[in-house]
Amino acid sequence: MDDSPVVLETRNITKRFKDVLAVNSLSMKVRKGEIYGFLGPNGAGKSTTIKMIMGLFHPTSGQAFINGKLVNGGGVELRRSIGFLPERISFYDNLTPIQTLNFFCELRGVDKSVVPKLLKEVGLEEHAHRKVGTFSKGMTQLLGVAQAMIGNPSIYIMDEPTGGLDARWVKMVRDKLKSLNDQGATIVFSSHILSEVEALCDRVAIIDKGELVAEDTIENISSHLSIKHRLWIKSPSINGQVPPWVNGIKGVEDVTAKDDTLTVTCDASVRLDVMTALKANGLEIADFKTIEPSLEEAFVRLLSGKEVA
Amino acid sequence: MSLNFGAVYTIAKKEFSDSARNKWILAMIAIFLILAIASSVLAGGGEIGEMDLTVGTLMSLSAMLVPIISIMLGYATISGEAESGALSVVLACPVSRFEVLLGKFLGLGSVICFSIFVGFGTSGLIIALTAGGGKWVGYLGFMLLTMLLGMLYLSLAVCFSCVLKRRVTSLAAGVFIFFLGMILGMSMMGIYAATGGDLGAFIMGDTSDVPDWFWFEVFLSPQDGSQVAAMEAFGISEFMGYEFEMPSYINLGTLALSQAIWTLVPLALSFIWFQKRDV
Repeated sequence: MDDSPVVLETRNITKRFKDVLAVNSLSMKVRKGEIYGFLGPNGAGKSTTIKMIMGLFHPTSGQAFINGKLVNGGGVELRRSIGFLPERISFYDNLTPIQTLNFFCELRGVDKSVVPKLLKEVGLEEHAHRKVGTFSKGMTQLLGVAQAMIGNPSIYIMDEPTGGLDARWVKMVRDKLKSLNDQGATIVFSSHILSEVEALCDRVAIIDKGELVAEDTIENISSHLSIKHRLWIKSPSINGQVPPWVNGIKGVEDVTAKDDTLTVTCDASVRLDVMTALKANGLEIADFKTIEPSLEEAFVRLLSGKEVA
Repeated sequence: MSLNFGAVYTIAKKEFSDSARNKWILAMIAIFLILAIASSVLAGGGEIGEMDLTVGTLMSLSAMLVPIISIMLGYATISGEAESGALSVVLACPVSRFEVLLGKFLGLGSVICFSIFVGFGTSGLIIALTAGGGKWVGYLGFMLLTMLLGMLYLSLAVCFSCVLKRRVTSLAAGVFIFFLGMILGMSMMGIYAATGGDLGAFIMGDTSDVPDWFWFEVFLSPQDGSQVAAMEAFGISEFMGYEFEMPSYINLGTLALSQAIWTLVPLALSFIWFQKRDV
């Protein structure tokens, strides 16, 4: 995917609101056909960056490009190739979903005959004649996804597409993102939910306090931070205390205890040796599992500034 | 830059059908109709009065009511939709901000003009059929002036909605400019009295001693300006028993110019501020 063309790019994009620097010289590149996760805690500057890419916010400095063309200054036609789902989407309460989608079809110059199909695709066909004002948050969000799909855009930009939804809706939205990507669309979405980004994304950008802390695949970020595999061991003989001899086992890099569990950090290759040593030392093992390097750890490490490498 | 008329029309049509759907238009037509008939009966001393008499009474009422309606329609145009978030979806479409604002202004403007046209038009027909329609040209002129006053305040309200961040602040600004227009005449009288003017004579209808600067007020208050323009247009120099002798610099031409400035400057600023706005 590294040689796919760049479809979305920001160059040193910066946004200052009075005395707050919301986004600080952020540069990122999204390539055609990937699912790109935009990850960061609340208030990190994700929405601000997305709004600048969409031309809704004017950058204080720096630029955003879509398909190689500058967004601010004549970006009207560029938006034809983008489906956008803003954070906390809201429509006109007094319209039905059909009227809503008809309106956006007209604005986009797309034939309105696609509307019933779009409603069906997001599972809202039964509510086609209800007022959007009576919709639950999840239904509004799905209508937002349908709206973004008008005119088959090649790029989707979605700000917290699953934010505030319950599990059933989250799954529907995620499945939809996945299938859009399978059909060839590039997807950029923001989230503060790590598991979601981890499950969906090819690459992630981690952003904190308006700055890009990392941009890479999850594996690369983890290995770059030298996040190791870990062993999780449950034993009735542990009482929140690490037995002093555990640190002496060859290959053990770190060990912590909590209640009746031990968490041992070690290289994947020596896991079995460590287990054997624990057993040989008389530790009763009730249960165990291995923990793969996760985005969560990368995230926590990056944000706490304890970058190793 | 080429203008996408389809998009402008779509936005305008939505504004109009929204107002039709939530019965705004119907309510406005009813208000205008009742107001005109009531004014006519009032002017006719219990019966439906002649058209010019009706206009004399209706003028001051509509100069108060039409601005309120325009401000109510327009104050949340941008700030309200920006606050709810609906605007960002619209602006993510391949339409320019200019087209969006133009569509909104034209749509809301047609709501105002249509309601005035149907409301005052129907009452005009009723008056013409009962009391005779000799003065219908003047009545039509009055309808047109009322529409222009509506557009003027719509332009001001839209302007506030473009520059102010929140729905409430733009409403507050609308209310402020409305009352400013209402009390300006009173304030001018206060200044006149404070600078040694004879308010007693003024109230008794003798305006011969009133200095020329006093009348400049009609350029500062769009409501008063519109009323005086209507009086000029009808050749009325008496209003509610007062005889007005205004300096020569106040005539239909200068009044029309000041009203045009009051409409076009806020409108131009709306486009500039909306373009710069972070949505």
